[in-house]
Amino acid sequence: MQEIQMMTTKRTWSAKWQDFVFAVRQVDRTQIGIAIGLTPLAIFMLLPLFYIFNHAFKPLHELFLFPPTFVVREPTIQNFSELLALTESTVVPVARYIFNSIVVTFLATLGMVIFGAMCAYPLAKHKFPGSKIVFGLVLTSLLFATEAIAIPRFVVVQSLGIMNTYWGHVLPMIAMPVGVFLLKQFMDQVPNELIEAAKIDGASEFFIFLRIVIPIVSPAMATITILAFQSAWGNAETSTLFMQDDAMKTLPFYMGTLTSNLANSVARQGAAAAGALIMFIPSLLVFLVSQRKVITTMAHSGIK
Amino acid sequence: MSRKRVLTARSLRRLEGTLFIAPWVIGFIAFLGFPLLFSLYMSFHTVKILPNKVAYDFVGLKFYREIILNSSALYDKLIPYFQEVVLMVPVIVIFALMISILLNQKLYGRFLFRAIFFLPVIFSTGAVLLQFINQGEGNLGFLERFELGGYLDTFLGDSSWAKPVKEVLNHFVLVLWYSGVQILIFLAGLQTISTSAYESARIDGATPWEVFWKITLPAMSPFILLNLIYTVVDMFTFPSNPVIELVNTGNYGFNSALAWIYFFIIIIFLGLVILIYSIMNRRHAKNYV
Repeated sequence: MQEIQMMTTKRTWSAKWQDFVFAVRQVDRTQIGIAIGLTPLAIFMLLPLFYIFNHAFKPLHELFLFPPTFVVREPTIQNFSELLALTESTVVPVARYIFNSIVVTFLATLGMVIFGAMCAYPLAKHKFPGSKIVFGLVLTSLLFATEAIAIPRFVVVQSLGIMNTYWGHVLPMIAMPVGVFLLKQFMDQVPNELIEAAKIDGASEFFIFLRIVIPIVSPAMATITILAFQSAWGNAETSTLFMQDDAMKTLPFYMGTLTSNLANSVARQGAAAAGALIMFIPSLLVFLVSQRKVITTMAHSGIK
Repeated sequence: MSRKRVLTARSLRRLEGTLFIAPWVIGFIAFLGFPLLFSLYMSFHTVKILPNKVAYDFVGLKFYREIILNSSALYDKLIPYFQEVVLMVPVIVIFALMISILLNQKLYGRFLFRAIFFLPVIFSTGAVLLQFINQGEGNLGFLERFELGGYLDTFLGDSSWAKPVKEVLNHFVLVLWYSGVQILIFLAGLQTISTSAYESARIDGATPWEVFWKITLPAMSPFILLNLIYTVVDMFTFPSNPVIELVNTGNYGFNSALAWIYFFIIIIFLGLVILIYSIMNRRHAKNYV
């Protein structure tokens, strides 16, 4: 059994190599042209990534260079040790902030993706009475920045009695209009014939949603996951507004206090740069995992 | 079946649809819908926070009048930003369309390229890009290096557009970073075009140029509209946007009024964008069908 497996892996490796050789031979001039055109732009795209990593390792005197430099000249881990020293002196242990952030981000991302998809499906595929009004509401609420409605939100959270609980973090984030908007637009593209065929075969709405619509729009789902994770992970607003208890605040809030609580913006810049890198790495990981889904081709097969 | 049917198929379907939509809509009403209406209410009142309660004194349209007629705060910040947005939106959408067409070609290593071009999504929503702009990394000294600033000054003269044009050129790198989601939407759209359409066009001897105008562009037009809306909304609600910064300072009633005025400005702008899009769409359809 194992031998067979080994043989197959060997064969696939050699097959892969042959594929590669074949692909290299297949490369024509336009492809080379496109690759040459895209490479400098791709390098531009990678600049922020490069910058964040370099910035975290810059010694203090390099952080304030003007014009700012991309590449660190004398890399040091001094920023990280400064951050570590700071975290040891806080009243609430930093592990608590990290734990809060993980719980909140997980619940909020899950909620945003699942409820967003569930809302988008009937909007796209069942023209029930009032669906246009609901979609219109989604669109208009896109146009409002959440900063503008901070106070009324505070009133709502207070009257629901979810101040200083995880619900206070999660629930306000779940109603994300961008997710519903994008998912609805993508679900519009799902062929009606597929859904009708499933219905004739006796599938329930929930089954159609879970087994047909979701797999087809999985690139969009992956995108929404990334966006939802981003907004939940970096969200300091709910901590500032709805949490008076320090033990319930999240990591972005703590990172914000590193610099902005001080009058001068010079002190602790090193620790902030290191913190920015630490905050960024989970986003990068989620991105790298989800983007495989994003960039695979949309499945529009099944209909001829 | 032993159980008696109490619901007709039609009402069952409606019930199912409602169940699907309910959780999000309830959340929406509680945390977006109601707060929005409440902020509309606040915009007609002076809000005073007293030790034991919040007092609302009705002032009518006072704040609206103040902002529209007397204050320079809105116009000073809004008009330059507006000009920038007018220039940035088409640049971003066209750029994203070009990149996504290139990325849709059969290209060895295109998975890597796609991943890289989609990367800005994780910057643009986070605080990273903000920090980046604050550090002055957004412009890379592009104009100074090639002495384009001088040419632009002579070309555009003293008109009020010189500054925004320079600003956009300066922020060209930012254009790249703003366009992550747009590229993704276009890529997904391009994959809805069947390859047989391209094949038959090639057999009929169409040049790539004609193929782009007659097959790719018409098929992409719903996605262009989607991207236009997305880009406008994204630009206007971006946290570094000066008007949003303005909304965060001052008293609550004034802020709410400002936010609503801003909202109507965006609606009008979006309406104009959609109008221009539909006019161009119709003209294109007339010329090429």
